[in-house]
Amino acid sequence: MRDYVLIYVNGHRHELRGARAFQTLSNFLRYDLGLVGTKVVCAEGDCGSCAVLVGRVDDNERLTYRAITSCIQFVYQLDAAHVVTVEGLKHSGALNPVQEAMVRCQGAQCGFCTPGFIVSMCGLLEEQEKLDENTLRAGLVGNLCRCTGYESILKAGMESNASNVKRLADLYPVQPLLAALREHAGTPVHVRVTESDREFFNPVTVAQATEFKASHPNCVLIAGGTDLGVQVNKGTRDPAIILSLSGLSELRSITHHDDRLTIGALATLVDVEHHVEPLSAELTKMFARHGSPLIRNAGTLAGNIANASPIGDSMPALFVLNAEIELTGRAGARRVNMNDFYTGYRKTVIAADELITRVVVPLPKAGEYFRLYKVSKRHDLDISTFTAAFWMRRENGVIAEIRIAYGGCGPVIYRLRKTEDALTGKPLNESEFEAATEIARGEIAPISDVRGDADYRLQLAENILRKFFFDITGVETYDRVTGAKEVDA
Amino acid sequence: MSFVGKDIPHDSARGHVSGESVFLDDVPPARNEVFVDFVGSPFAHGELLSVDVEQARKIPGVAAIFTHADVPGHNDIGPVIKDEHLLVEKEAVFLGDPVVLIAAESRDALTRAKRAVKINMRELPAIFSIDEAVAHESFLSDPRIIQRGDVEQSLVPSSRPSDLHIIEGALDIGGQEHFYLESQIAIAYPGEHGAIVVHSSTQHPSEVQSIVAEVLGVPFNHVTVICKRMGGGFGGKETQAAQPACMAALVAARLKRPARFVISKDDDMRFTGKRHPFKALFRLGGRDDGEIISLDLKLFSNGGCSLDLSLAVLERAMLHSDNAYFIPNFRVTARICKTNLPSNTAFRGFGGPQGVVAIENIIEEFARKLALDALDVRRRNLYGIDSRNETPYGQIVRNNTLPKLFDVIAKTSDYPRRRRAIADFNRTSRTQLRGLAITAVKFGISFTRRTLNQANALVNLYQDGSVIVTTGATEMGQGVNTRIRQLVADELGIKYDAVIIQATNTDKNNNTSPTAASSGTDLNGAAAVDACNKLRLRLRDLAATMLANPQNGIDSDPEHILFRDGYVFDDRAPANRITFKALICQAYIERVNLGARGFYATPGVDFNRETGKGTPFLYYTNGVCCSEVLIDRFTGEMRVPRVDLFMDIGESINPGIDRGQIVGGFIQGMGWVTSEELKYSPKGELWSHSPTTYKIPNITDLPEVFNVATLPNPDNVVSLRRSKAVGEPPLLLGISVWAAIKNALSQAATNGDATALPLPATPEQILKVLTQHAARAAAAATPPVPVAK
Repeated sequence: MRDYVLIYVNGHRHELRGARAFQTLSNFLRYDLGLVGTKVVCAEGDCGSCAVLVGRVDDNERLTYRAITSCIQFVYQLDAAHVVTVEGLKHSGALNPVQEAMVRCQGAQCGFCTPGFIVSMCGLLEEQEKLDENTLRAGLVGNLCRCTGYESILKAGMESNASNVKRLADLYPVQPLLAALREHAGTPVHVRVTESDREFFNPVTVAQATEFKASHPNCVLIAGGTDLGVQVNKGTRDPAIILSLSGLSELRSITHHDDRLTIGALATLVDVEHHVEPLSAELTKMFARHGSPLIRNAGTLAGNIANASPIGDSMPALFVLNAEIELTGRAGARRVNMNDFYTGYRKTVIAADELITRVVVPLPKAGEYFRLYKVSKRHDLDISTFTAAFWMRRENGVIAEIRIAYGGCGPVIYRLRKTEDALTGKPLNESEFEAATEIARGEIAPISDVRGDADYRLQLAENILRKFFFDITGVETYDRVTGAKEVDA
Repeated sequence: MSFVGKDIPHDSARGHVSGESVFLDDVPPARNEVFVDFVGSPFAHGELLSVDVEQARKIPGVAAIFTHADVPGHNDIGPVIKDEHLLVEKEAVFLGDPVVLIAAESRDALTRAKRAVKINMRELPAIFSIDEAVAHESFLSDPRIIQRGDVEQSLVPSSRPSDLHIIEGALDIGGQEHFYLESQIAIAYPGEHGAIVVHSSTQHPSEVQSIVAEVLGVPFNHVTVICKRMGGGFGGKETQAAQPACMAALVAARLKRPARFVISKDDDMRFTGKRHPFKALFRLGGRDDGEIISLDLKLFSNGGCSLDLSLAVLERAMLHSDNAYFIPNFRVTARICKTNLPSNTAFRGFGGPQGVVAIENIIEEFARKLALDALDVRRRNLYGIDSRNETPYGQIVRNNTLPKLFDVIAKTSDYPRRRRAIADFNRTSRTQLRGLAITAVKFGISFTRRTLNQANALVNLYQDGSVIVTTGATEMGQGVNTRIRQLVADELGIKYDAVIIQATNTDKNNNTSPTAASSGTDLNGAAAVDACNKLRLRLRDLAATMLANPQNGIDSDPEHILFRDGYVFDDRAPANRITFKALICQAYIERVNLGARGFYATPGVDFNRETGKGTPFLYYTNGVCCSEVLIDRFTGEMRVPRVDLFMDIGESINPGIDRGQIVGGFIQGMGWVTSEELKYSPKGELWSHSPTTYKIPNITDLPEVFNVATLPNPDNVVSLRRSKAVGEPPLLLGISVWAAIKNALSQAATNGDATALPLPATPEQILKVLTQHAARAAAAATPPVPVAK
């Protein structure tokens, strides 16, 4: 057991004890270390000005770096990690080729968002050889700029001489870092601050985690922290006891086997996105619109499920695919169907000693129809106004089985059982779907809020059913990504 | 070699990309520094009964708590008229209106103290919308009018020619949050004998100086305001940087300790003003062929709780509601509504966008009514070159490039063919809908308040030949410092790198105008050029003596001295040259004054607010833009596949920086008309107060095809180096996206029904219109496939 958090920043070692370990990463960087190149604007992960690269030891014993928003990460989540800030990206004191291109292309105006863009672009180059326009558009979704209109930033990204950009492994010698991080990664961390009556525990095994949870029923679990971080920053939540799961490396893996995807609770959303890419275009698109790369590099699918928000992007898909949630407690593991997992607004069946350890997702098979929809005010990096998932199987020309789930339409995700019943056994034609729209409208109870009025959601409840019909019957439909119809059935 | 006209990188770019540029909150806390924040009214309108700060005072780390009674000078900080308090005395006029100021040793103590303050207030009735304000006759101004011809007569049926059509309608125009990334911030350092130095993220240091002085009750010369840079301004830091500066200054003065006011993004969005929402009511008369005869326009703006800059914003809206179009009989009547929202303020475009969208909407409606193409209607009514070239307020539109711009865009955008293709597409597609529109901008350059069209600059030469320039211009990312460096380098014939621009500082440049109205370079650049001229005149006398060579017939003649590429020479013997540095060294020895103050006042501009007539603008910056949209008929979601943008910005001082202004302005305008929606609770609390809920354009919203070009125009002789101001005008071209959406939706209407589309056109609004059209179609028992006109 350790009583400190070990964190490397731009190659320098820091041990944080006591209250310092509870601050956000951005505060630690800016106020403790004076690394003020990392900017904080929104303090909710939605603008990317605070982006930094985080290197962790992966399953292959390599140090892999991903860009995340430092404003909604707590220092204790970064235990045994190497953080690289914008100050740490120069090449021997000179601007790196991405930075040079941003200067040359007028990619910076007021400059406040610029460090975040530099970090994100350098993060993309950790995985890509070259930055083309599509890679950049998708990869920079998490960074907002109010001045440039992005054109010059895109141009700079494309003009960055990527082959001259040193990988972080070349800037920061890997072996000494790996040795130090590995040495610490195996030990749990427990920090308690008596003055403010606060503690956190970073276990390294599931057994340690369940034990702690059972003995601390009021503890708050944190995995990626992309929602909890926001709540703490905005003063809506102030947990005294924290169970931080980032050390549970056994739960990071994703396996694909018999048309089922088994996703460890600590697998990040970006890991899931990469895994589903060859398996399902619909799931890939859905994950690609989940927050931003900066969020997906930290957030987890299990966290999205446990958070139990009716507007969580991933849930409707898991409902119609009959995903199973593996819960592990002191007595062992059990599995719960996603459709039985929620009991009310932000309420689940998770018992006091349990945590989500895995999510098992049966993938849609050839011949099954599977479609996912997300409607939001802005296409990318927006919380959904309305989500929907459809899974359907046909037999002998009729709808043999159909499952429909809508999100953003009430306190929980709804399965539209009456609509499903009405369509089951019916031929696949427009009039049947038209008739079902009224039923769908009646099965939801939306509210009016900042993202849209109830009337809008009621109309969408009808229209998405129509859209699904047009989609699967091969009529060209709107797709923001490709601009025309897309195929996935 | 000339630096003007070159794409020189922004002068802070290297610091920006490395994270080394210093913004105010990056400045390490000084010894003994305190953090400052406020607690505001829980109601949008309330009577203050009492304040209980006892619990808050007991929190460890709380240094002081102040109310209005602790303000040593005036509590009123209204920038134009005195109608705005710093801290609530009796009546709170918006939700969050500051009541109590807290200073604490740490951010943590500050947060806890804020929670412990109890404000006891009686809620009073509040109004928020323009409609409510009009119904209650709640106004901040009397109606103002600009008119020409006889609107009434030209619209009465008896006098109408038979082919005159009249349309009328209304348009609701939403506001916009600035969303500068760096929220409002100020740090104040107390000095000797009541003096104070305030570092402020402000577009208007001189105004911050005067307001801080009045709040502290000290002469203006006791207050120094410094602005190195802003992390974005967009108008939001023109007047409204004063309040944070006053709060920091008040604490610093009272405690004799440095004080830092940092506001969170959420609070900044909740408690500061925005772009004014407007409502436009119109009646238009025009002929069969699309000629507009008469326009009667009524504008109401939502000014919020106090006047701030609302009058000037309203005025610019009125002066832009003709836009690019000559309308012989014209009347615009406009008035500012008083509501219980934070006082709305300057925002890039400054009323211009609201005026322009009002008329562009009317033209779309008029074209629909006549079944004409909207582009033809626009071209039919454009300001002419030699005739039809006088605005309703009496200014002649000179160097009119609008007809040329329209000719070119119609071709380069392939507009006629695409309109036909889109109409065909919309007739057959049941799932998607396309739209295409071209809109224009004719943006008047100059402050409409004559006084503000002045600037001063200080140019100091040092003995190694290096130069420091200071002006009243503030750098908010727009590149004004880069442009002024280029100008000064050229004027002195030295390298760009030899010139630096120091922070804007009221000690060095006094009584400066705000960096606003797109005028930063026009005014301050011209003042710097004037200072350079003075220096050159002084230096060339000396140079002439140094370079004289009577044996070779070169007498000492200052008229022949040139400054080029770091050298000074007589143009009759250019090979015999001395370095600029050598000249400066000698000038110092010879006791020549090596510093100069330049001044510029825009000639000829004047506007009479009472009569609504005059020549408010030195020139116009023009542009046109063709946007195409693709809409999902089921969800109302929209994207912009292609934009062709074409502007006349004269001869660019820095084409790279100007392109950044054009693209950035357009995207910001597109955000205003599409995704940026201000949503309030019924009690007047802003719901969309952070980027999670307030959606500015994302990188994926950048049009897939985005052609940006500028018209070569060497004829704008009235302005600095024949350049044109570019900060605001391109924002107004974002309106073309809205017009394209309206065009798409009107093609989904049966029977040529009108399409009332409020702004912003969010997916929700778009679907609402589509649903209305479908319901009308169903009622008319027409086939479900919408038929385009």
